[in-house]
Amino acid sequence: MLGKMDQYIVEMLNITKRFPGVVANDNVTLRIKQGEIFALLGENGAGKSTLMSLLFGLYEPDAGEIIVKGKKVHLSSAKDASKLGIGMVHQHFKLVPDYTIAENIILGDEPKRKLLGLIPYVDIKKANKEIEELSKFYKLEVDPTKLIKDVNVSVQQRVEILKMLYREADILIFDEPTAILTPQEIERLLETMRELRAKGKTIILITHKLEEIKKVADRCAILFQGKLVGVYDVATTSTQKMANLMVGREVVFAQKKEKDNFGEKVLEVKDLSVLNADKFEVVKNVSFSIRGGEIFAIAGVAGNGQVEIADAIAGLIKINKGKVFLKGKDITDYPIRDRLLEGISYIPEDRQKTGVILDFPLYFNLAIKNYFQKPFSEKGVLNQTVIKQFAQKLISKYDIRCGQAEMTLLRSMSGGNQQKAIVAREIEQNSALLIFVQPTRGLDIGAIENIHRRILEEREKGKAILLISLELDEIMKLADTIGVIYNGELLKIAPAKDFTINEVGQFMMGVKGA
Amino acid sequence: MNKDVRQQKIDVRYAIAELLSNEKTSKIATPILSILLTLITTAILLLILGSNPITAILGFLRAGGFIPKPSYASNNNMFTDFLLFLGIMAPMLFASLGFIISHKAGLFNIGISGEMLISGFIATLLVGYSDLGPWLAKPLVLLIGMVVGGIVGAITGFLKYKFNIHEVITSIMFNYIINYVTGFFINSYYTNPFTRSSMPASAASRLTITGLKLNGINISIPLSIFIAIAVAFLVNFLLERTVVGLEIKATGLNQDCARYAGINVSKNIIKAMTLSGVLAGLAGVSYYLGYYNTIVPKKLPDIGYDSIAVSILGNSSPLGAIFASALVTIFQNGSTYVSSSTGIAKEVASLITGLLLLFSACNTYIKYRAGKYVREYLDLKNAAVVKTQAASEGGQNINGFGVH
Repeated sequence: MLGKMDQYIVEMLNITKRFPGVVANDNVTLRIKQGEIFALLGENGAGKSTLMSLLFGLYEPDAGEIIVKGKKVHLSSAKDASKLGIGMVHQHFKLVPDYTIAENIILGDEPKRKLLGLIPYVDIKKANKEIEELSKFYKLEVDPTKLIKDVNVSVQQRVEILKMLYREADILIFDEPTAILTPQEIERLLETMRELRAKGKTIILITHKLEEIKKVADRCAILFQGKLVGVYDVATTSTQKMANLMVGREVVFAQKKEKDNFGEKVLEVKDLSVLNADKFEVVKNVSFSIRGGEIFAIAGVAGNGQVEIADAIAGLIKINKGKVFLKGKDITDYPIRDRLLEGISYIPEDRQKTGVILDFPLYFNLAIKNYFQKPFSEKGVLNQTVIKQFAQKLISKYDIRCGQAEMTLLRSMSGGNQQKAIVAREIEQNSALLIFVQPTRGLDIGAIENIHRRILEEREKGKAILLISLELDEIMKLADTIGVIYNGELLKIAPAKDFTINEVGQFMMGVKGA
Repeated sequence: MNKDVRQQKIDVRYAIAELLSNEKTSKIATPILSILLTLITTAILLLILGSNPITAILGFLRAGGFIPKPSYASNNNMFTDFLLFLGIMAPMLFASLGFIISHKAGLFNIGISGEMLISGFIATLLVGYSDLGPWLAKPLVLLIGMVVGGIVGAITGFLKYKFNIHEVITSIMFNYIINYVTGFFINSYYTNPFTRSSMPASAASRLTITGLKLNGINISIPLSIFIAIAVAFLVNFLLERTVVGLEIKATGLNQDCARYAGINVSKNIIKAMTLSGVLAGLAGVSYYLGYYNTIVPKKLPDIGYDSIAVSILGNSSPLGAIFASALVTIFQNGSTYVSSSTGIAKEVASLITGLLLLFSACNTYIKYRAGKYVREYLDLKNAAVVKTQAASEGGQNINGFGVH
């Protein structure tokens, strides 16, 4: 393996790629060695994904050249890349839910046989066997006959990896692979990557999570605003240094939290029960309350009912049993808009699906909760000037970066800036209660820092805050009170200072009375 | 010299690409390109069929009263034709406005034909066969058209909201039901034995004032076109400037976000389908009680379907629909005249409408390609400027671009 280390398998020389209004990659040169884990680090919008899309043939560079395995190549589609042995696991999986794992893997490259030497058909038995062998060899256990819709995201991700391996890819690109995984699943994925490296594969890892890079990567390239800052040896570079280079300034990891100063009870949830679409009780008899100036965090493994609690409070799903009081008022049966007007701000889990309208310009998105009120509109007629001025104010106040100011379509903004826009809009509602669900999911350090600061600022203003997060670190850092949810039940509620991170972790696994 | 010519050609190409890709101009430039492509394709097809495309186009323009015909029936002239053209353009415009509103809410109202027929039918029964005077009859016809179309639209929307039945299914079913039910009543009770269509509605109830003379020339005044154009501006205002429009568009673009923001999605689905039906109703009365004064039983108006092409050609914009409906009407209206005067098959009109729809549907792609061309051009130009030491080399670079 070491003998091959000096050979470059991929070289991207002086790559430049422009999009309307932005230079996504500005004269970037990367040389990736055979058999290494090469990390690509940068904030959202730094150009990591664009660079890899160029290598995967999704875009063509405006300038520069790409050399794969010693040959200059011209990649104009994913097919070209696939032929060269380049595979990519995208952030959003591209799988058919109603097909089995094996069918998804072989799709487009099916082993065929001919019935009676005439009628061709797909030899699914052979595929199942091959995939089973492949998954054993790479320690990526899957059951090839299961349907995709019946397996969880981490298995789906394994399927995506097997898809590449089935096509004999030896350059594997992972685009933010851990964004959707739980801590245990992340560990397992990193182990898989080491395994793949040991088997001679070259891995390019796009991420902004420094710990992961520290754990698996050999070298890392840092991009900042489309330019290459440098390529560093991971073993000899400190996390702090990487963070600073990535954000382009000094990063403050620990933010100062003011002493608590709790006010009156703002939200009270009593015996809340919620059913999902299959009439299954996903939230069971949950009771808790949040005071002004308090951050109440719900910790738990994904899918244990925490998002449903938030949706039930905001009115997006029906409450089966129980009551919700806001500032002493029973809002259990209020329609959504009335709840919002009573003083609820909500940063939803899925920002693109729920939080914004991607094909609306920024200024409408910023006003989507206020457009029907004065002075945004009068007698049913919108006041464009007021709406635009409001947007301009938020853009500068919350440092939302957008190519064409308030006219920018949300679709063309980076994920971090979309989230900043949602946070700006929700904070500006000046509601008594703010619900943050996974507020920093998929964001980079700079953006996370920014959003954490905002949450703490709201706490100091005396707002009640409900924080739902899968990141334990985030919860330990911000929360005043922690409630741990398991299987729809709040197992334990206690002040954050009474918990250690391990105790929270145990409750998350359902160990009662730990 | 040759070099200059080539350079000029590239500059022209760049200017066109810029027009097509620029946010502001592309809204107008891409439809114009679609029209040009349609005309070129039609011309080629006509040449293959052995007909003269110029004659055909001139024929369409003559029929619409844009240029004079070689001969006219007594007391008719170009102006007569033009007013008739406006009379048939009005229902087309109303219908496409109806389609646009449903489309903005993410719905596909394919029931415009049925809504037109039922509102025309009921207005004919209630007002067209009464002896009300014009000042009462005409507003009443408009009102009935709006109410009847609106009710059908509202039912479609309600079924979607209450039982989650797709609006396309409901409206296709409605089209059938309305077609045969009205056909049954016309054939049984209101048929004109000579024409086999319904008995004519009273002149007082019609939205087109007929039988007028101007300097001895026959003219008819289609009141409906003035209303239709005013309504186009009104719909544009509604969609772009009002709370109602914003909610309809938000519902159409992202229901999850609309709901999250407190917008009542079901209410907006019903609202959009109702408004769409109201406009289809106006199309119906201006068709059956305007341009015509009778209803052919068991025949849905083609306008209901053509309006989909018009909406897409007009970029789903109410003001764009004014021009798009004028254009499509030129072809649909002129088909009879063109076939009788030149022998070119009537179906050419539908062919042209189909091609327009096809090319309009490519708008986004055309815009994307043009944008790519502009960027590549500017890149090469920048590269050329950088190479200041050899100006001629830079020039070659740009020249080489056309082949790129």
